[in-house]
Amino acid sequence: MSDNHSSSPDQENLNSTYWRSLDELSEKVSPSANASAEVKKVADAEFTQGSLERRDFLKLMGASVALATTSCIRRPVQKIIPYNKQPEEITFAVPNFYTSTYLDGIEPLGLLVKTREGRPLKVDGNPEHPMNQGGLSAKAQAHILSLYDPERMKGPVKNLLNKTRSNFDTVSTSWEDADKAITAQLKKGNVAILTGPVLSPTTQMLINDFCQGFKAKHYAWSPLSIAHLVEAQKVSYGTATLPQYHIEKAQVIVSVDADFLGTYLKPTTFAKQFAVGRRNYKKMNRLISFDSQYSLTGANSDLRYKIKPSEGASVILGLAYEIVVRGAKSSYAANAQVKSYLGNYANVAQEIGVSPELFSRVAQDLWNAKGESLVLVGDTQSDVSFEAQVAANFLNSVLENEGKTIVAGVHSGTASSYGSPSEILQLLADLNAGKISTLVVHGVNPLYTLPESLNAKDAFKKVELLISTADRQDETATLAHYILPDNHVLESWNDLDFGNGVVSLQQPTIRPLYETRSIHLSLMTWAYLGDRGPKRLTTFETYYDYLRNAWKEELYPKLGKGQGFDDFWDEALQKGFVGTPKESSGRSLKLDSLKAGSPAKAVKGLQLHLYPTVQMGDGSLSNVAWLQELPDPVTKIVWDNYASISLKLSETLKVKEGQMVQLKVGSATLEVPVHIQPGLHSEVVALGLGYGRTHAGKVGNGIGFNSYKLAQASKSDKNQFLQLSGISVEVIPTSNFYELASTQSHHVLDSKNDGKRKIVVEATLKEFEENPAANNHKHKIFSIWEGHEYKGHKWAMTVDLNTCTGCSACVIACQSENNIPVVGKKYVLQGREMHWIRVDRYFIGDAETAEAVFQPLMCQQCDNAPCETVCPVLATVHNSEGLNDMVYNRCVGTRYCSNNCPYKVRRFNWFNLTGNIEKPLNLALNPEVTVRSRGVMEKCTFCVHKIKAGKNKAKLEKRDLVDGEIKTSCQSSCPTGAIVFGDLNNPESAVSKIYKEDPRNYALLEEFHAAPTVRYLTKIRNNHEEHRPQSEITHHKKGGHA
Amino acid sequence: MIQRKPLVLGDKSLHQVTEDIVAPVERWPSKGWVGLFLGAKTLFIFYITCIGIVVSVGMGLLGVSHPVGWGTMIITFVFWIGIGHAGTLISAILFLFRQKWRTSVARTAEAMTVFAVMTAGIFPLIHTGRPWLDFWLFPYPNQRGPLWVNFRSPLLWDVFAVSTYATVSMVFWYIGMVPDFATLRDRSKNKIRYLVYGALSLGWRGTARNWSHYEMLYLILAGLSTPLVLSVHTIVSFDFAVSGLPGWHATIFPPYFVAGAIFSGFGMVVTLMTLVRIGFPEFKNYITIDHMEVMNKIIMATGLMVGYAYGSEFFVAWYSGNPYEQYVFINRAMGPYAWAYWTMIVCNVVIPQLFWVRNFRRSIPVMFVISIFVNIGMWFERFVITVTSLHRDYLPSNWGMYNWTFFDSAILLGSFGMFLTLFLLYLRVFPAISIAEIKPVLGVGKEGAHHG
Repeated sequence: MSDNHSSSPDQENLNSTYWRSLDELSEKVSPSANASAEVKKVADAEFTQGSLERRDFLKLMGASVALATTSCIRRPVQKIIPYNKQPEEITFAVPNFYTSTYLDGIEPLGLLVKTREGRPLKVDGNPEHPMNQGGLSAKAQAHILSLYDPERMKGPVKNLLNKTRSNFDTVSTSWEDADKAITAQLKKGNVAILTGPVLSPTTQMLINDFCQGFKAKHYAWSPLSIAHLVEAQKVSYGTATLPQYHIEKAQVIVSVDADFLGTYLKPTTFAKQFAVGRRNYKKMNRLISFDSQYSLTGANSDLRYKIKPSEGASVILGLAYEIVVRGAKSSYAANAQVKSYLGNYANVAQEIGVSPELFSRVAQDLWNAKGESLVLVGDTQSDVSFEAQVAANFLNSVLENEGKTIVAGVHSGTASSYGSPSEILQLLADLNAGKISTLVVHGVNPLYTLPESLNAKDAFKKVELLISTADRQDETATLAHYILPDNHVLESWNDLDFGNGVVSLQQPTIRPLYETRSIHLSLMTWAYLGDRGPKRLTTFETYYDYLRNAWKEELYPKLGKGQGFDDFWDEALQKGFVGTPKESSGRSLKLDSLKAGSPAKAVKGLQLHLYPTVQMGDGSLSNVAWLQELPDPVTKIVWDNYASISLKLSETLKVKEGQMVQLKVGSATLEVPVHIQPGLHSEVVALGLGYGRTHAGKVGNGIGFNSYKLAQASKSDKNQFLQLSGISVEVIPTSNFYELASTQSHHVLDSKNDGKRKIVVEATLKEFEENPAANNHKHKIFSIWEGHEYKGHKWAMTVDLNTCTGCSACVIACQSENNIPVVGKKYVLQGREMHWIRVDRYFIGDAETAEAVFQPLMCQQCDNAPCETVCPVLATVHNSEGLNDMVYNRCVGTRYCSNNCPYKVRRFNWFNLTGNIEKPLNLALNPEVTVRSRGVMEKCTFCVHKIKAGKNKAKLEKRDLVDGEIKTSCQSSCPTGAIVFGDLNNPESAVSKIYKEDPRNYALLEEFHAAPTVRYLTKIRNNHEEHRPQSEITHHKKGGHA
Repeated sequence: MIQRKPLVLGDKSLHQVTEDIVAPVERWPSKGWVGLFLGAKTLFIFYITCIGIVVSVGMGLLGVSHPVGWGTMIITFVFWIGIGHAGTLISAILFLFRQKWRTSVARTAEAMTVFAVMTAGIFPLIHTGRPWLDFWLFPYPNQRGPLWVNFRSPLLWDVFAVSTYATVSMVFWYIGMVPDFATLRDRSKNKIRYLVYGALSLGWRGTARNWSHYEMLYLILAGLSTPLVLSVHTIVSFDFAVSGLPGWHATIFPPYFVAGAIFSGFGMVVTLMTLVRIGFPEFKNYITIDHMEVMNKIIMATGLMVGYAYGSEFFVAWYSGNPYEQYVFINRAMGPYAWAYWTMIVCNVVIPQLFWVRNFRRSIPVMFVISIFVNIGMWFERFVITVTSLHRDYLPSNWGMYNWTFFDSAILLGSFGMFLTLFLLYLRVFPAISIAEIKPVLGVGKEGAHHG
């Protein structure tokens, strides 16, 4: 940061409300200012003005605590400021909440950030936000840990590159020196900026300004691109856009490799929408998926058909054939051109190995729900992705869904903001041609995510000055001349466009921990020093001012409702968003677009399908240990990626679980372990992306295998892209074995041994309509004991298995809330993971057609708790509100409680897991929850600290608790609202209504009569007609001993 | 009239009896003893080191995990407690039933009990997550409320049962040795011996009053110990039976555990007695083949009881119609730990059947090998009960395995080091056979002798 920019903190900001003073914190203070100056500043200026910088405040707090706790003889020389002069808005031990946003992949999410004593502790979904409405993905919640990552760069560094650029040593530099050198180089021209998807309108504006100033070129790219989707929209409807989907309005949803509940586009928002249709029992939606991997969407579908990646387009066109040609339905039925085109797809069902009858039933379902159906195709980056997208647009038009369940997006930027692989390929070409002498890389990591065949490394070495804004020396930054670390998301200002008229602000919740600077301010500083670009780029001192100005000029005129700009701005910050979701009218399909897609020839032999995983995404958060230890929702494997193959293929290849195989694609090879996954097509090898980092940090380095290496630059000239799916692959077994750590054994519930276990109760929709309590067999249980008396509250929880998608957001929410340690792969292998809530996944049926069910399991807070009676020291006791309290400091660790727990939800501290938390990771610990030591048992507490806080609040306000006021962490993170928590003694509470009125509710292991206060609600599947006999297996034998 | 077999061979005079029995205490240790002791002691020190490491690093060093919360330490605890049972049974119950053959083995069996209980007693203390807080397991007056222990917890009953058992069996053992201590005192040739044994003999003078009180006390202690034989292992079995886990929650557990304990206890007595006979050949006249044969018969009988219990568990699992219970037993016999189950069956049920053959019952090498198998089998019985029940219970998502580690082996082996160290020291400093009790039975089986 230049001195100019930091010299005079403007008065408006100092006197302003909290978040505005943060601007000053994040952008204005010179990072080179030394500590004493800061203290002086705090003491002299800001304290007297009623505002205090959080970090300074922390320092003071630390000093006062040290003073209070040490019995010192000498009084400290430093001036101590008593807390009774507390800064406005901060009360000791009382959390503050701030709205913000986070971009997870390409899904913008509204956040509510909980801070205490000035540090962000927990990220929740903003319940008021129109899009995610409170739910939040696992990745978005876990990203808070990356703020406190000890391996973040502490300031700008310069690489000591030698000629071959094989030297990775760095030396720290000052922003001033770096700025000077960079500006000089920028002035020479041939500048380029490479970024990830830019969904922030103001960032886009700033980049445009910068590009204008330096005649620079902007390349936007993401390894998990959705360029096919956007491009197909252009071909079919004329404008490139990311359409908005209304899954909540869809009666029949067909997903072809579109893992919209897991990783595709906006999974958190989609899950919320999907649950709406699931809850509508009078007219429940139906999800049919054609799945190349075992995706989360496939696991949640009513009917799942396994396919190969190359069959994506044919499936859609086959369905179109069924409707338009065979069924002679829709307005296209008379169109000879369409008919002849579709004629090639008459036998798709046989080709993909689905019974023609079932296939035509899918088409029938779609047609019957026309206008209320939705065909979603994933942009899996296969040979046929583009064709499949075009075909899906056609089919959605046939089904008259356009303008109803699918509408055009409303973007402030251009569609190219989503990034396109053609741009990175163009960049590489430009680099190789020597057209670029200065390159700024921001938010992407091409040297990790590009396949080796592209020789990206050599291309990047040709740049005269390579600048990386990574927060660590990542794979790309090893080649950079300067690493100018960007602020963490939680430290910086920005905005995000939700693509439907809603725009949100991202506000910092802590002053930058280190001497980092946002990319925005870097670009502004260079423009200022080089005196280039439009006036707004060079006049504003901070990005905050730029942002405010942009909002004032662009958004305020459009969305301001007569109030002044300051009010508009404050409201945007308080609410977390401006604007309301807008609908655009339906578009008309250009019929000749169909010709744009002519599916490539089917790949022969095995097909490789590289997919992003729910927990790891593109791999940018791989140094976040929570995510590494988050079990994959379907395979339940942690700390690895692996080649999933079907049982049949494993028999053909003669490989076993965990055996290493060599995957050979062209000249690229990769050795990965095999995981035998039920329900996969026998010609598919599915491999997760985002692993095998080499420069991620201590946690992420060397975890798994870098599957990006196997991506192929597509040869076809019609659309350039990097192929991730449907790649022809050769699998060569080796004799080595590898241990995959799974939190759950790969166990298919089989009829012989487990059939009688009533664990996940399922019913088909028809069974449910006939009898809402279908398959929910209750036992007649009597007790000689009258039980506990609950005079005040009685806390209880229900989990709706019908809306739980298994996304595992609750696991991370719990981990973040309750200071749950990560144990590492070695100890997961020994069954020592510490999660208080886990999502159990069971497969039903045989290895070919296996269906999946999910069941989140936390402490069941039993009334007749088996754990309580056996503890010799009364370390776990029943409280007056029905909770099983765990008294950590009384626990001696006999583990008898865990042995006696039929649900095995208790976790034991086998080692001192919390004793050596590396600083500053300790700042991520929630001070409201005890950090457990070695030798102590722990378990879910129903977020007892939140209950206590809620009760105290109500008491101080002299009122009764309102139902829904207290939310457990898992509950508030759940995108589908499957978890309900409340007071059973309040007859009006949601939870007691479900207890009393919902016949689907059942207690897990009811016959054990631990009398749990967690109730599960039967899973309903809308597939009665296709009723497969296997699904009856888990159902309890009817008419038993009732 | 059928002549009874003599209980003591070799036509010993009273003086010879004393000489024979006190010989190991009064002479220099043999090379064999020194060798064994050094080995045992080394193992004991290794054991203490390993415990130290586990206590300072964490229980995670052992194979215990989620869901198998109990492992080697609890298994070995039950194993040693079981071993202890033969001693009390021999000394107390057989005393009350006037089984005279018990006299020659009672002392050593009791010593074995005491050492086994000491060895066992360490495990519940070190298997906790925070052993330094183990005193919380005892109800003692405190300033936390006072905060009491949970009297509903079987683990607490265990604390009482084991500590009572340890106390009573130690007192019983000691009281029985008082007259012999006096003998040693009287024979002592140096002052230290005189003082030590003098103190231990509690001023015994061998008067009629002494004897009268002694006999009365011994009878009372025998009466007190008798219910303990049944109660201790019953309560240990409650640790399992009172829980709700399929495979643990069974009413058959108390008798099954007691039978198993006696079975294993006699197994260990036979092992040790064969070794004593080898180490101290002069004892062969006192610990005769006839004695060994009687014990082998008991092993066979209790082995059958245990076998019956195994069968009964399966029957009840089937008959109950409880799918969880049924699965546990199918899993025991056919699951990943089937090898442990079948080891147990072979060692405990099949091999002791060899004792139907008289020559085997009376062959020292055969009975030694069989008794070793019984010991192995009974360890595996506890392994099977503890681990196979825990590793796959109600919800298949929980299922896991026990992760056997170096420390599991170290703790198991090390406990033998502790036991053998104590036992070898005992052989050197205490008379291994009761002199006072042997003398009255010298006449048994002799022509014209009256029953003493």
